Amino acid sequence: MEAYINGISAISPQNTFSGGLLPIEPVGYSGIRSLKCIEPKYSDFIDPMVSRRMSRIIRMGVCAALKCLSEAGIRNPGAIITGTGLGCVEDTGKFLNSVYENEEKLLNPTPFIQSTHNTVAASIALLLKCNNYNSTYGHRAFSLESALIDGLMLLNEGSAENVLVGALDEMTPELFSITDRLGFWKRQAIDNLTLGNSGGRGTIAGEGAAFFMLAGSRTETSYAKICSIRMLYRPSGIDETKSWIREVTGNGNPGLVILGINGDEKTDTVYEQLIEEAFAGIPALYYKHLCGEYDTSAAFALAMAAGILREKRIPEIMKTGRFPDVVPSRILVYNHLRNTDHSAILVESC
Amino acid sequence: MEQLEQKLKEEIITALNLSEMKPDNIDVNAPLFVDGLGLDSIDALELTVLLEKKYGLRIQTSEEGKKVLYSVKSMAEFIRSNNKG
Repeated sequence: MEAYINGISAISPQNTFSGGLLPIEPVGYSGIRSLKCIEPKYSDFIDPMVSRRMSRIIRMGVCAALKCLSEAGIRNPGAIITGTGLGCVEDTGKFLNSVYENEEKLLNPTPFIQSTHNTVAASIALLLKCNNYNSTYGHRAFSLESALIDGLMLLNEGSAENVLVGALDEMTPELFSITDRLGFWKRQAIDNLTLGNSGGRGTIAGEGAAFFMLAGSRTETSYAKICSIRMLYRPSGIDETKSWIREVTGNGNPGLVILGINGDEKTDTVYEQLIEEAFAGIPALYYKHLCGEYDTSAAFALAMAAGILREKRIPEIMKTGRFPDVVPSRILVYNHLRNTDHSAILVESC
Repeated sequence: MEQLEQKLKEEIITALNLSEMKPDNIDVNAPLFVDGLGLDSIDALELTVLLEKKYGLRIQTSEEGKKVLYSVKSMAEFIRSNNKG
């Protein structure tokens, strides 16, 4: 199964939405433990009467989707599929707080209705008046990958000519506080651009919304071709991960890998071992210093990979070592979340 | 402008996130739904919760709801008729 990426839009802590997709001047944040998205002026994209009920993640998702559709020149996609690890966390928090504060009485309907994972995909469909296939995957760090596989299957079986696939997750103060108690984040505030060398346990939190317009055929503005999407759950050890990576890449090595290194010394060892063996000699990039850690962060990496293949330029800020002058034609995005959910997406130039 | 109507307008703007709107933009006699402010069924639920939370008033039937939630004026009259204004 293969699909062409014919449009991309990403809202992230970098200027990926209003500036170019690939960071030229990366946005650095000093003394932070969590990165927040740079949000666009929503009223330029969504009627305020329509957006008034939308929480931040819904606005981000809808806005990114609309820009992605516009870039690809599609008005009514054949399917809308989203992936989100935790869904609309802000609305879920509001709803649960209101249940507690009002002793389960007099609950406002809006946060309840919009606290579901599929709110963004549904909001896009409502706005577009699109009655086509609509689905959402809430599979933690496999959410993006599940959505992509569904999209590729629809294209492959001819059920849709094009598919809008998006992935999004938000960070809220409540979620940060809960996950901080679980030890997910660094104890000390750091500068995000130094994340790779920060050492110690934990990483920095992040968020983002990225949408991809997929189709079975190439257009003049196509970014890249998705060739393979694979997932590996809880590998027994590094040997199983290495063998799985070899299966993913098949006969030819990728010319470049984009890794989910996140500055957590416990789980970054997986990447370090792969760089020494399975990825030996392959130039490696990393991206989580730009967007932070979240369940669907691989969507940011996929956007970067597609942007690199189309623009034939590798952002300096993503490099981990010396690089050849020529941009390779195959890129592997490899990420894992706390060494549990491993995913690999192989993209090629087209 | 009576004080209760003005207060209701501000509460409606907050409850329904009508951030682009000012109280003066809302005509007390104009219908809140469809033609007037263009509110919908979810807004009706939000306004029902508002009346109960802020004024301790419960709308009993859908017919009563249609009358009470017709405009800012009808909401104010409902509150006054129940001695809550």
